[in-house]
Amino acid sequence: MLKEDRVGKRVLLLGNEAIARGVLEAGISVVTTYPGTPASEIADSISTVAKDVGLYMEYSANEIVALEIAAGAAICGVRSLSAMKHVGLNVAADALMTLAYVGVRGGFVIVTAGDPQCYSSQNEQDNRFYTLLSKLPCVEPSSPQEAKEMVLYAVDVSEQLQLPVLLRTTTRIGHTRGPVTFGKLKGANLKGELIKDVKRFVMVPAHARLRHKVLLEKVTQARKISEDSPHNRIVREGKGVGVITSGAAYNYVEEAVRILELDAGILKLGMIHPLPERKIAEFLKHYPKVVVVEELAPYLELHVKAIAKDVAPSVEIFGKMKKAYFPQFGEFSTRMVVEALAKIADKTLPINFQSIDEQFTEASKLLMPRLPVLCPGCPHRASFYVIKTATAGKAVMPTDIGCYALGIQPPLQVGDILICMGASIGTAGGVNRATGLDTVAVVGDSTFFHSAIPGLANAVYNNHKVTLAVLDNLTTAMTGHQPHPGTGRTGMGTSVNRILIEDVARGLGVKYVKVVDPFETKEAIKVLKEAIKTPGPSVVVFRAPCTLLVLRERQRDDLKVEAMRVTDECTNCLACVTLTGCPALIQTEEKVVIDETLCAACTLCMSICPYNAIKGGSQ
Amino acid sequence: MTSCDIVLAGVGGQGILLAAEILGTAAVNSSLNVRVSELHGMAQRGGAVVSHVRIGEKVYAPTVLDGKADLLVGFEPLEALRNIKYASQRTMVLVNINPFKITGVEYPRMEEIFVQIRKFTKNVEEIDAAALARSAGAEVTQNIVMLGALAATERLPMKPSSLKEAMQELVPKKYLDVNVKSFEFGYGTIRDQLCSIT
Repeated sequence: MLKEDRVGKRVLLLGNEAIARGVLEAGISVVTTYPGTPASEIADSISTVAKDVGLYMEYSANEIVALEIAAGAAICGVRSLSAMKHVGLNVAADALMTLAYVGVRGGFVIVTAGDPQCYSSQNEQDNRFYTLLSKLPCVEPSSPQEAKEMVLYAVDVSEQLQLPVLLRTTTRIGHTRGPVTFGKLKGANLKGELIKDVKRFVMVPAHARLRHKVLLEKVTQARKISEDSPHNRIVREGKGVGVITSGAAYNYVEEAVRILELDAGILKLGMIHPLPERKIAEFLKHYPKVVVVEELAPYLELHVKAIAKDVAPSVEIFGKMKKAYFPQFGEFSTRMVVEALAKIADKTLPINFQSIDEQFTEASKLLMPRLPVLCPGCPHRASFYVIKTATAGKAVMPTDIGCYALGIQPPLQVGDILICMGASIGTAGGVNRATGLDTVAVVGDSTFFHSAIPGLANAVYNNHKVTLAVLDNLTTAMTGHQPHPGTGRTGMGTSVNRILIEDVARGLGVKYVKVVDPFETKEAIKVLKEAIKTPGPSVVVFRAPCTLLVLRERQRDDLKVEAMRVTDECTNCLACVTLTGCPALIQTEEKVVIDETLCAACTLCMSICPYNAIKGGSQ
Repeated sequence: MTSCDIVLAGVGGQGILLAAEILGTAAVNSSLNVRVSELHGMAQRGGAVVSHVRIGEKVYAPTVLDGKADLLVGFEPLEALRNIKYASQRTMVLVNINPFKITGVEYPRMEEIFVQIRKFTKNVEEIDAAALARSAGAEVTQNIVMLGALAATERLPMKPSSLKEAMQELVPKKYLDVNVKSFEFGYGTIRDQLCSIT
């Protein structure tokens, strides 16, 4: 559907799919990514159509490589896009900051997808501040339709200024579906050319000094574009209160103003760097009270206050600084904006939220949290059982970003430190130097290629006493099963040689490297114990495919999963339940029962049962 | 009625995203404005999942305001309760009575859950979606049973047939028949339950 050439057709698209459609309408011809929620579906959607429409896409090993591939193409005049989650831009930041000096010839859009509320992230950093650091222009949509339009707009601005342009989304933009109207498709064009220009493209200090000035001139030009931008506009005129907002927050403002029947003006900012200072100044002059509504940090508020100081010093500015009505954390809701605006504008609330809260507090006494868990049949559950048993709770176990972060929950409880992708091996080395304790650093297969390799090289070089447990489920599972260098498959759907993690480890000089099947628990425990005893770094690869992929394949081939069975030998000792925490194991008064709709017949419970009371698993 | 706020609540893996996408697609195909909010990634792995579907000309926010849901669909009872603050007296609540247990925790008594739900609204319909899905041919289609049930409330601004058309777009061909059957079973059951009241 995404590549359908029907101008005016109106379809339901996820914000991220709308961005992918924008790619096709803008004639973007190179798309790169490292998958990360909430950005993954942009490149995934492109991956399904890339071959047909003649564009090149790749799942890069990590975000900085993704940015560099796309930058190389854009320098050669080919329109490009790179998509990543907010923390992915940290990985790519080194390239980004200097690419701003170098610039591009073909339009280059960098999507940075933030995650207020940390639905699927380790932090909720506000990536709008990257605009100040890099000085690059940035647009921010509020709906799927705008997300598509802004891809085309960003390409246009990028080519006018010869600079990459950031397109910032958040979870509620990328993961919201809404109607999107198709525009005209523009064919891909991969015929680039590098027009050599050493002073522009080679950032030695003498050139960089000059290019910094060029960048600052471009910011001035960009500000003019922002002043006239159709995306920076007054969407509602009013008297008493003026609201300045952007992105997801705008949607809550629109509804809150209506619910409160406020006579409010709304300035919606879609190009958020550089900001349209004159437009904002004009707006400030019209209102005695101005409210800045934005999620996370007071990015707009800082700017608005700076502008107000010169042009409207008496205007009262409400937001999250001195007159704090909104939090600097978490995501917003219509309710939050209704409550804040009611206070600021001195209106009574039309809805009795307090009584809803009281009633809900009473009802929620019955509730218990239902946290995300490892899927039934997940090989990581077996790996964690092995790690926990082999270390007997005596080792420190730094962990990493991915499904295996779910291992911290009881009963498995593997994971002592978690910072960012690739950090487990480095932190393990530090912990060992500081405490002398054994360490088992957990990392995934995709994450290994993303950022654990330098850590492993460092462990070999500096002889750190760490054991790296690579939980290799042959895919990038958490973000939607994207391929990676260890899978032998690319984003274009071509088959390539697999890079084996054990080969990389041996190549780096790790002396103890073994591959185990996590479901062969006894053998795996023995190997891991050996690895931990090894002086210097060691690597154990726990290899078994993601159960979701296995089940999907079986479903495709019309093969049924024969669930495990609990026989009458069961003494209800609950070893299987308490050691694995598998959701398919149901406790009853007499014996454990297996939920046949959940069981993936992985055999882990069978291998643990002290009474051999679990049978089945003819995989 | 051309506006409608729907909250779909359940557990990751129960097919809530598909149900929400079918509703959203049917709305767009019926020339309505709509927002469907979803959560992916970490939120999907067997954790509590909620999707909001908001239909109406003036809809901007992806999520429903507390107390303002027209329809709340619990794909399992505890998750219906977890999201009950979206309900008020005018809300119709549909609950699949089959609990999705939490490993290592005792599930509350079913009667107590429904007592609490009924404190928010008297319009509560219980439905055994698992039994209906099984008799349709596949227990995994409980989500579509609930979708049929939703259509039978006659509170949606689009026709039930538009939901079936959207299913044809979104459900793989080889599973379409069993899904359509599940939809009909859910639809018929709730229609009969509602008729017997009036």
